[in-house]
Amino acid sequence: MTVVAEGTGAFLAPDPDAHRRYIRDHKEKGLVSKVMSEHEAIERFVEDGDYVAYDCNLWVRGPAALMREIIRQKKRELWIAAKFTAHDATMLVAAGCVNRIDVGWMEVGRVITEAQLEGRVELHEWSNGAMTYRLLAGSLGLPFLPLRYLGGTDVFNTSGTKLIDDPYSGKPICVVPALNPDVGLVHVNQCDEFGNARVFGAGISPVETAMAAKKVILSTEEIIDSDELRRHPQQTRIPYYAVDAVVHAPFGGYPGTVPGLYKADIEHLMESGAAQMQGKMDEYLEKWVFSVSSHEEMLGTHVGQEKLDVLKAEETIKEGYYE
Amino acid sequence: MTETRTFTDMEQIITTSSRLMDGDKLYFTAIGGPPLVAVLLAKRLRAPELAYIVEDGTIAPQVSLPAPPFLIAASGASYRAAAWADMNTVSFHAGLGYIDYGVLAAVQVDEYGNFNSTFVGPAYERPARRFGGPGGANEIASLCWRTILMTRQQGRKFVKKLDFMSSPGFLDGSAGARERAGLPADTGPWRVVTEMAVFDFDEETRRIRLKALAPWATVDDVIAEMEFEPMIGPSLESIEVPSEEELSVLRAEVDTTGRTVRGCWITVELDGENARLVEQETSAEGA
Repeated sequence: MTVVAEGTGAFLAPDPDAHRRYIRDHKEKGLVSKVMSEHEAIERFVEDGDYVAYDCNLWVRGPAALMREIIRQKKRELWIAAKFTAHDATMLVAAGCVNRIDVGWMEVGRVITEAQLEGRVELHEWSNGAMTYRLLAGSLGLPFLPLRYLGGTDVFNTSGTKLIDDPYSGKPICVVPALNPDVGLVHVNQCDEFGNARVFGAGISPVETAMAAKKVILSTEEIIDSDELRRHPQQTRIPYYAVDAVVHAPFGGYPGTVPGLYKADIEHLMESGAAQMQGKMDEYLEKWVFSVSSHEEMLGTHVGQEKLDVLKAEETIKEGYYE
Repeated sequence: MTETRTFTDMEQIITTSSRLMDGDKLYFTAIGGPPLVAVLLAKRLRAPELAYIVEDGTIAPQVSLPAPPFLIAASGASYRAAAWADMNTVSFHAGLGYIDYGVLAAVQVDEYGNFNSTFVGPAYERPARRFGGPGGANEIASLCWRTILMTRQQGRKFVKKLDFMSSPGFLDGSAGARERAGLPADTGPWRVVTEMAVFDFDEETRRIRLKALAPWATVDDVIAEMEFEPMIGPSLESIEVPSEEELSVLRAEVDTTGRTVRGCWITVELDGENARLVEQETSAEGA
């Protein structure tokens, strides 16, 4: 197979056999409860230097509570997959947690640009589709997959994409390396104590993110009875054996929306936007992350039950999600 | 009888783009911003049966208008979809050839319809201004049969050389360049829409070509806002300014917060087919 052209970008190199051995040696195959606090989950399963992929973003069904805990525990030198992400990347960079970002699309402002210019963070350009597809390859246990885009562009030149001759037809085709992140974070609507999880609504890549990752942390709006879950097995998107930790986090997507459950807190999103524009991310993080010890405390202290009730009541669309 | 009408440059771009859309075609649109607003306007006024797909896996939704503010973070965006899938699945559908048109916004465009949404500045590591990134645009511009690009008519946007090619047009313009780069055959940019002009691409050379002109602008006005000279089509069509109805639906129903349609104001005096520019707001920074 001839490599016709190749990009020069750094990427997390796939090693499917190493990944299989990790799965064999570390994953719990029995039905044991994985319910734990967000503190314990992040402390046990996120290490400095890890590659972290997460599903969705701070606008829609993202693992916001888990991200704030990563910041609270001051994890360092993380490499993140910023596909279809909002100001999640900004928050993590402002907190000094991240020094490498694979970019699909991210909300970007002065925090990331200044960090890039000062050499505190390195960006690698891909695309939303390419990052999600790399996770798909990782979730299939393959080293790479062919795809019919990226070719010819600067994204090709600056990423780990290669152009090869299709071994069957001889025609040119690009390939991208599989991505097996160290950590996958997914916020789900419901799961049982073992990690069998349901995700409702359109979504980016909840299944690929969980199945490609070595260590998987779910935060969930609701922990449901396993016997009840087994009455509707078709709804289970992520099976228990992929999951290392289940964190019960109602409003775990806050300030974003979890469609069908609660609306995004637009006031908060504006506050974080303004904090970045005004160079006050430290104050924002102090208030929303460091001044509290948990997600639950943050909701109680800084949001309040009244606001939470409003966000719930205003989400009037239920069909397709819970009915 | 003359009539005076005032609209933003972005409202012109959005209405012109929406008039290019047909009800029996499938569209793949960016998740928010001008492309989505143009699709929603077309659905509301001209082609209610038009179906579109969004990269978050939403297939053919029926958004209730008035649209909620901050639609990108609202369940209203995927309301009553035909299907809820995921990002990989909708890319596969584009890869299979189901999607007729991709609709996208660009920061910079070159003469072959290649475009940038990553950064402007001297080098990737040293951006003067960094943008969100390719997002879904690279796959949409590669896999859909045709691409509609939306951008403002400014010299810094129509550039000889992109600071970064995030997404492909006709690449170096040579015959078969896309296929040689591994992209599907017979695909590529179709229209570029600005507040002053609509461009298509010459079939022989794949170079951008002026196709239609706003009634208040001249060819020289357009060329003055480009770093390179476009080809000029054989018979220039005239772009209609936004109608009162289009503006009303845009402002009151589709983009209720005005976040997307905001821009520089253009005021014209309409007299039958003719339009005279009364005032065009300019901004050094652009909106």
